[in-house]
Amino acid sequence: MFKLKQVHTNIGALQIIQDVSIEIEKGEFVALLGSNGAGKTTLFRTIAGVLKPKSGSVEFNGVPIHRLPVHKIVELGLVLCPQGRQLFPQLSVQKNLLLGAFPLRGDKKRIQKNLDRVFALFPILKERVNQQAGTFSGGEQQMLAIGRALMGEPKMLLLDEPSVGLAPLIVKHIGDIIANINHEMDTTVFLSEQNANMALNITQRGYVLESGRCVLSGQCSDLKKDEKVRKAYIGA
Amino acid sequence: MELLLQQIFNGIMFGSTYAIVALGLTLVMGILSIPNFAHGHLYMLGGYITFFFISATGLGFWLSMLLSVITLGLIGVLMERMVYRPLTDQPHINAFIAAIGALLFLEALALVVWGPQGLRIPNPYPQNIQFLGITMGLQRLLVIGGAAVLILCLHLFMKKTLMGTTIEAVAQNREGAMLNGINVNRVSAITFGISSATAAIAASFLSPIFMLSPSMGAILGMKAFIIVILGGMGSIPGAILGGYILGLIEALGGGYVSAAYKDVFAFGALIVILSFKPTGIFGKKEA
Ligand SMILES: Nc1ncnc2c1ncn2[C@@H]1O[C@H](COP(=O)(O)OP(=O)(O)OP(=O)(O)O)[C@@H](O)[C@H]1O
Ligand SMILES: [Mg+2]
Repeated sequence: MFKLKQVHTNIGALQIIQDVSIEIEKGEFVALLGSNGAGKTTLFRTIAGVLKPKSGSVEFNGVPIHRLPVHKIVELGLVLCPQGRQLFPQLSVQKNLLLGAFPLRGDKKRIQKNLDRVFALFPILKERVNQQAGTFSGGEQQMLAIGRALMGEPKMLLLDEPSVGLAPLIVKHIGDIIANINHEMDTTVFLSEQNANMALNITQRGYVLESGRCVLSGQCSDLKKDEKVRKAYIGA
Repeated sequence: MELLLQQIFNGIMFGSTYAIVALGLTLVMGILSIPNFAHGHLYMLGGYITFFFISATGLGFWLSMLLSVITLGLIGVLMERMVYRPLTDQPHINAFIAAIGALLFLEALALVVWGPQGLRIPNPYPQNIQFLGITMGLQRLLVIGGAAVLILCLHLFMKKTLMGTTIEAVAQNREGAMLNGINVNRVSAITFGISSATAAIAASFLSPIFMLSPSMGAILGMKAFIIVILGGMGSIPGAILGGYILGLIEALGGGYVSAAYKDVFAFGALIVILSFKPTGIFGKKEA
């Protein structure tokens, strides 16, 4: 369903992503592990079309997407929930969510259905529909960002470090919800995390990124046993 | 007392024009985060194009204004595409220079086509109304009423339509908007079109009262910048309120002190307000 072939991405003159290849099947739940500055965000922004790869290709459902503008990629059903959340701080929760459904504009029934679904996942958003997004706490903003990304019914969801800066209890809660999105809603999920503990417990497979290169990949059960992963990301 | 009322009336009329021009400027500033220095010149061009339709086609005031508004809207869309979009990822100074180039071009164009001498659109409503002892020209009332209706329409558009919401979204977080599937280039072009079209409306209302000249865009554009800075960059209520305040300051200062110092009051107000509130009246604190 999703294929990344030998992707290189530069930021300015710096080569950040080097020769990364990834394949993900429909319905899978895959982790992208890496420490600070490993290149997770750069890789995700390349997939979403915000950055263009210098070489290599990205394919989604058989369509090459690495030359498409960002909004076209979203229309194909590949949606990034970005690091830093990128909400619209002065707009209400309601309007943030409705903008998430922009690709479905005009289809009132589907939008209402998705809104109900998001409210069921995150009841706090329903209680605060009229509150400005910018006044939310970090955890609430993360929930809104995930909810917004779900509003357009993505076929595949990229989640960039949803746990960053959140308390352990909230991290667990958000992890459960992401797992739920993957199996209940049949959405393929690619999750980037520094928090390998959380990620390896909920995903099936993982890739490990180091200095922009993919150094390791495999089933989570194997990654958990890997000496290097244990040292670098689990702290055991 | 009558002098005071008369000056307030005039102040509100000028303020109406300022508010609309500043509103258009602030909309584009919010979206592209670059100042469109040519905005006053688009206003000037709008006035001339209305003049052109009235004098060349014999269509009435309202139809000519409608055609002029459409033309300016298209010019705005073109300008975004040809002047600003190619510079999106370049340093801001490049867009500044492009804006100044666009402004010089528009002024030279008006000079070549219509000449340096002032032109006047025939006043469609030359009647006067007496009220509370002051004289109110019907066309001047139209400037005030038209601006109020336009501001109301723009407000409803921004708050109640999806298109308006996407404009706000792009202004608040451009990348976030893209990632939601919004074509931000299209939103920029539409915003530019709306901004230019509203400038043409303001120019068409005022041109039967004051002469058109190729240089009028520069002064108005400068004042619109004062208002946008006074009101707080990118703030819509700030631009509206700032517009009326500037109109009143000028009219009262001009009426009671000296008309020759009208512009001194405008710039003086800018300096005073900014020294007390550096982010403008409605400005947010720097993050
Ligand atoms: N705009 C930029 N200019 C220069 N270097 C950049 C830029 N953006 C990212 N980098 C560099 O690219 C590398 C990868 O950054 P990236 O943000 O992709 O890492 P990350 O894995 O997402 O890290 P984190 O877990 O901290 O979010 C880093 O060395 C970073 O300094
Ligand atoms: Mg990152």
